[in-house]
Amino acid sequence: MKVLHAIRAKLCVMAMVAALAAFASPVWAHHSFTMFDMTKRFTLTGTITSFEWTNPHAYIEIDVPDEKGAVKHWSIEMGSPSILMQSGWKFNTLHAGDKLTIIINPMKSGQNGGFLSQATLPDGKVLFNGPRQEPPPAPTQK
Amino acid sequence: MKLKTCTAMLLAFAPAMLYAQAAGAPPDLTGVWGIYRGGPGTDPKFQPPAPTALVLKPEYDKPYQERRAKESAAAQRGEQLDNPGARCIPYGVPSMMSIAIYPVEIIQTAKQVTIISEAFSEVRRVYLDRPQWKIEDVAPGYYGRSVGHWEGDTLVVDTVGIKPTVSGYRGMPHSAQMRVTDRIRMLSPEILQDQITIDDPVVLEKPVTYTLGYKRMSSDYEMVEFVCDNNREYVDEKGVVRLKVHDK
Repeated sequence: MKVLHAIRAKLCVMAMVAALAAFASPVWAHHSFTMFDMTKRFTLTGTITSFEWTNPHAYIEIDVPDEKGAVKHWSIEMGSPSILMQSGWKFNTLHAGDKLTIIINPMKSGQNGGFLSQATLPDGKVLFNGPRQEPPPAPTQK
Repeated sequence: MKLKTCTAMLLAFAPAMLYAQAAGAPPDLTGVWGIYRGGPGTDPKFQPPAPTALVLKPEYDKPYQERRAKESAAAQRGEQLDNPGARCIPYGVPSMMSIAIYPVEIIQTAKQVTIISEAFSEVRRVYLDRPQWKIEDVAPGYYGRSVGHWEGDTLVVDTVGIKPTVSGYRGMPHSAQMRVTDRIRMLSPEILQDQITIDDPVVLEKPVTYTLGYKRMSSDYEMVEFVCDNNREYVDEKGVVRLKVHDK
């Protein structure tokens, strides 16, 4: 039973990867998603140190305190400005010093980096990382 | 015919009549065109037709298939191998005509049609009043040299001079002898298609043809600049694409 369960879980993950790849592949010009674990998502809350409205990708640089108050820095990759504009972002949507809650797909390498899934802005508005985002599964807390 | 009937018919045909061109006058392709792939729920008459088979000569097919297999195996491991995109190198002709969901802008004048891709801000200039040069007289580059002429409502573009290192259709190799023919036509005021044929007597057993679809963007859309000045990707010593993250 345990083996069957493991196989089912693996198949499920493979199906999710395939579905994400099929959904995502037309959207991004620059690279594939292989460096990010698109099957994992978690939430980060912190203070923006810079918002870089650049090509080939925009980035959110953010300091994230843990429960003991120790701060870790994260680099979060986004789509390109052109693609982000199609989902409501502008060059001045975020500023250094803003408090932000984001959901990301982490890097497989374990580095403090990830791919943005969605962001909750200081005014409570939620923006996604491109025009074709679909409702994702619930994230786990980091 | 009663006036009422005639008026009704005129009104019914008005859009088609407005779209139809006066004899001899080419249609105006000017505008910003978004990528249109058709699919479920869309009008089948605007569905871009399927591509023809890509058939390489055996001496090119073997290394091509081996490279594709390596890329596929790397993807299975969660890695991406070195590629021009990761280095922010532009796509060139013909790949620039369809990059992800980035639109292309067409600016048409009597003597020149200019095609600009939003991704990487790539530009093709199609001269309508000049003959094509011999391939060996064109400096090899990303866009080569393009000349065009109208065949009825279709803009036919001939391009030569694409250097072999420029990434090809589906990653195919190509020689300096490659010739690209675009046949660009509006199917309706809102839908455009570009049928692209690649002929390369050195690499291909037969020409390959594929068709791209476009849908007109709203008239107030303004093209976004794309300068690759913050590329955080790099290729490691094993030829695998990695991403730099910042410490602070």
